[in-house]
Amino acid sequence: MAVLGVARFIEQRQDFEDAIARTYRVEMQARERLARNPAARGARATVLRQAAERRRLQERISDDTRDTALLVAGGLLAGLAGALLLYGGVIASMRRPLEDLVEAAGRLASGDRSARVAVGGFAETATLGRAFNEMADELEREASQRDQLDRLKDEFVLTASHELRSPLTSVQGFAELLMMERDKLTPKQVETVEIILDNCRHLVRLLNDLLDLARSDAGRLVIKPEPTDLGPLVEDVARSMRARCEARGQTLAVEVEPGLPQVAAEPARIRQILVNLLTNAHEYSPEGASIEVKARAVDAEVEIAVIDDGPGIPPEQLEHIFDRFVRGDAGLTQRVGGTGLGLAIAKSLVDLHGGTIAVRSRVGEGSTFSFRLPVLAASGAQAGEEAAEAR
Amino acid sequence: MARLLVADDSETILLLMRTRLEMAGHEVLTACDGQEVTDLIAAGGPLPDVLLLDAMMPRKSGIDALRELRAAGVDVPALIVSAHQDARDANAPTGLAIHGYVNKPIDFDALLETIAELTEGSE
Repeated sequence: MAVLGVARFIEQRQDFEDAIARTYRVEMQARERLARNPAARGARATVLRQAAERRRLQERISDDTRDTALLVAGGLLAGLAGALLLYGGVIASMRRPLEDLVEAAGRLASGDRSARVAVGGFAETATLGRAFNEMADELEREASQRDQLDRLKDEFVLTASHELRSPLTSVQGFAELLMMERDKLTPKQVETVEIILDNCRHLVRLLNDLLDLARSDAGRLVIKPEPTDLGPLVEDVARSMRARCEARGQTLAVEVEPGLPQVAAEPARIRQILVNLLTNAHEYSPEGASIEVKARAVDAEVEIAVIDDGPGIPPEQLEHIFDRFVRGDAGLTQRVGGTGLGLAIAKSLVDLHGGTIAVRSRVGEGSTFSFRLPVLAASGAQAGEEAAEAR
Repeated sequence: MARLLVADDSETILLLMRTRLEMAGHEVLTACDGQEVTDLIAAGGPLPDVLLLDAMMPRKSGIDALRELRAAGVDVPALIVSAHQDARDANAPTGLAIHGYVNKPIDFDALLETIAELTEGSE
């Protein structure tokens, strides 16, 4: 539009200039006639007319120049606006797929394996989108293979621990039968049978632990929480462990804060956690060591800590202490004979209860294993206190 | 003492159970699967005082055998023996009037106590 306007303007301007030149020419001829004959009235009139015509033409030219300038300016503005719109459109059509990609990558990273993008837009963003989708497909394939392997592993552990239990029942049962007639056995034979029984018990513990972990991995380890007072439970477990500790000259002290609030827990599982922690404290600490169990309320949680003054755990082991089959110092484990699964199970169980487990230890200064369970919500007095605090 | 019917597909386990339970003075009948249990009861004669059935056996499981017996109106107390760590979780059938679960390896002292409780007063 503006270009056409400018072309027309140039064309018209040429016409005007020609017309102006003509007025000069006509005027000059008239003036020559006037010079020859000053009385020629027609010539004078012609001079005046031509001058007037020239003024008119010049005015038109300046009007046209203004219009054209306006037209050009308008055209430029329109062009600029158009360019901006076009640019905005390009940006938007690139931005949308990129935003989708960012969003999908976020979902994928947080574990949503179905995250994909709609492939579209410019060639580059479409290529990016396709590459992203292929990568996501690949990840999904690998993840589902891994899931299947995990399931197989869980199934295997469940089946194996089930199948091993029957022969183990026989071995243990017949060894027990022998022991029932121990007065007919020589001391050497009694010792042999005791070794068999010890190993049977160890195998049973190992199977139970493996089964617990496999169930936990498969999401099949479920707890049945009920309102529980941890105080009596702690004292009961300590009572059952005391003889073992005292046999090695170790002291086992219990300190339960009075008025502990209840927690939602499955008592048998809490007992299992505590037995695991206390067994470790007992077995890894030397003769004459002192072991303490403390239960107290901390904020909205109940904390149970098992404290020993044993050899402590070096930092590099502390890092992996809740992993499977991680066990203390090799020199000790020979004697200790645990399964290496106790802490991993304790952690699984504490997690299932919505609690936390922690360890503090320094070589030569003993170890403290503690776990916290959330206080049972909305137990009358507790809720009242919370409401009062909120105010 | 009590008359017990024990079913397990492992001969060694049956031998162990028979030995331990007879040592405690009980009379022990054995069956190697659920089918033998139902056949034995269907054959008539005095009913056992307690059934000790392995949960998983080929041909007919202890649970299936018990289901048939209950349907036939046999209300003998029953204990389910299982190699699952927690027999209760593994099977948990309802409405079969199961009087207890026994985990393998078997704690015979506890088992004998349970049998004594179940047969108390019936003698």
